[in-house]
Amino acid sequence: MRVALFDYGAGNLHSLGKAIEAEGVDVQVTDDWAAALVMDALVLPGVGAFGQAARSLPDDRAPIRDALAGGLPAIGICLGMQLLFDGSDESQGDGIGLVPGRVRKLDTPVVPQMGWNDVETLGDPVFAGVDPAVAYYANSYVCVPDHEEDVIAWSEYAGKRYAAAVRRHNTWGLQFHPEKSSHAGRRMLANWVRAARGVVVARDVVAGREVLAAGDGAAGRDGDYPSPGGRPESGVP
Amino acid sequence: MLRPRVIVCLDVKEGRVVKGTRFKGLRDVGDPVELAARYEEEGADEVVFLDVSASREGRGTLLDTVRRTAERLFIPLTVGGGVRTVEDIGPMLRAGADKISVNSAAVRDPSILTEGAEQFGSQCIVASIDAARDSDMYRCYTHGGSQPTELDALEWAAECKDRGAGEILLTSIDRDGVRTGYELELTRAVAERVHVPVIASGGAGASEHLRDAFAQGLASAALVAGILHDGVTTVSALKRDLTGWGVPVRMTSPTSASP
Repeated sequence: MRVALFDYGAGNLHSLGKAIEAEGVDVQVTDDWAAALVMDALVLPGVGAFGQAARSLPDDRAPIRDALAGGLPAIGICLGMQLLFDGSDESQGDGIGLVPGRVRKLDTPVVPQMGWNDVETLGDPVFAGVDPAVAYYANSYVCVPDHEEDVIAWSEYAGKRYAAAVRRHNTWGLQFHPEKSSHAGRRMLANWVRAARGVVVARDVVAGREVLAAGDGAAGRDGDYPSPGGRPESGVP
Repeated sequence: MLRPRVIVCLDVKEGRVVKGTRFKGLRDVGDPVELAARYEEEGADEVVFLDVSASREGRGTLLDTVRRTAERLFIPLTVGGGVRTVEDIGPMLRAGADKISVNSAAVRDPSILTEGAEQFGSQCIVASIDAARDSDMYRCYTHGGSQPTELDALEWAAECKDRGAGEILLTSIDRDGVRTGYELELTRAVAERVHVPVIASGGAGASEHLRDAFAQGLASAALVAGILHDGVTTVSALKRDLTGWGVPVRMTSPTSASP
């Protein structure tokens, strides 16, 4: 399975790339959206500022939104989660608009929120085996979805409750940094890769392709999946 | 609930950890990669590399050290000491640092904070302040505590925050290495003045010192170095004590172990 790790041009992609690669997938760092969208899954990392990341999106957001709405497995982390929304108070520029809602500045005495916080999970497979979840945050902004059904986990900071994670179709958004959350975070990334593999297998079956064709090593590995927990078509519980 | 953090600091020189000889039996006792990973397993919430290399070659090695560490470390890594201009920040982050900390460079030219925060976000810019009591004020020092400045630590901390620092690493020169506890008055004064997280540093000798830094000093995090490296205590022992006193530090749970 080939996973595109999108590079907005700022910050640390190293740990995230390594954590995902450790799950046996081929991680390709790219700053080319056209190339990213034809891979099997997409990772939007969590470093940089919203405006800068928004400028790295193509002017027409529709192809990205359509790909995600069409079931392309994806995960957005911190800023990458925020990009899934319509827009942000941090700076000008539209997000991808997959998840209806807006990104707002944290209304708490100490900003940024920096450190490990509890995550109250609501049963999504990406959190399987991670309970209780404590994850590392470094954010000044939070996502405010229009529809609470999109939320799959909550956190609380200085008495304010906000979305720790959202999901639409096969796109997950995590406000914290799983790649910086030690074993718990790596388990979540492993769960996501498992879910993404399930989607890829299902897609290939639907397309009538011979998934286990000789010479396609990656697809052969995919043939070991999916497991019940990773089946994307199970939807949000 | 946001958990108070225990941060482990390693002094790195030319690709090797200078202090830190406790972990016997490792393949390479002084390897920063091995040591950082070991501290993550013990329950450290973050790791700081403080580069104390004197030479340009030594600083070149730092990028490689950071790169190798980031491949193995899955908690946040802050790098200090190797950043002199805003142009140094990008390569350090790309190598795998999550945050960079600046001290002397920011005193010389505070725009490094502003520009760093604009380009990379406040969350990765840590202002490191070394302060010592001087009659009725806390005076800032640069160059590893050797050069006094005209800056008042409280005023300077506020300016660092206004310029975009997302965190203050506050070291008491008076307490550094003394192990009699953090400088609580200074820590609290800065934490009450600037509304960004403050990391208490200098003076940790026992777990109650960390408890006091959180409860009385209002620190978001406590930096620990010597007592860990010398084998006086361990991160897990510190956290067990803190948990016993009701300080809600992150405890690594067996159910969240690696799959």
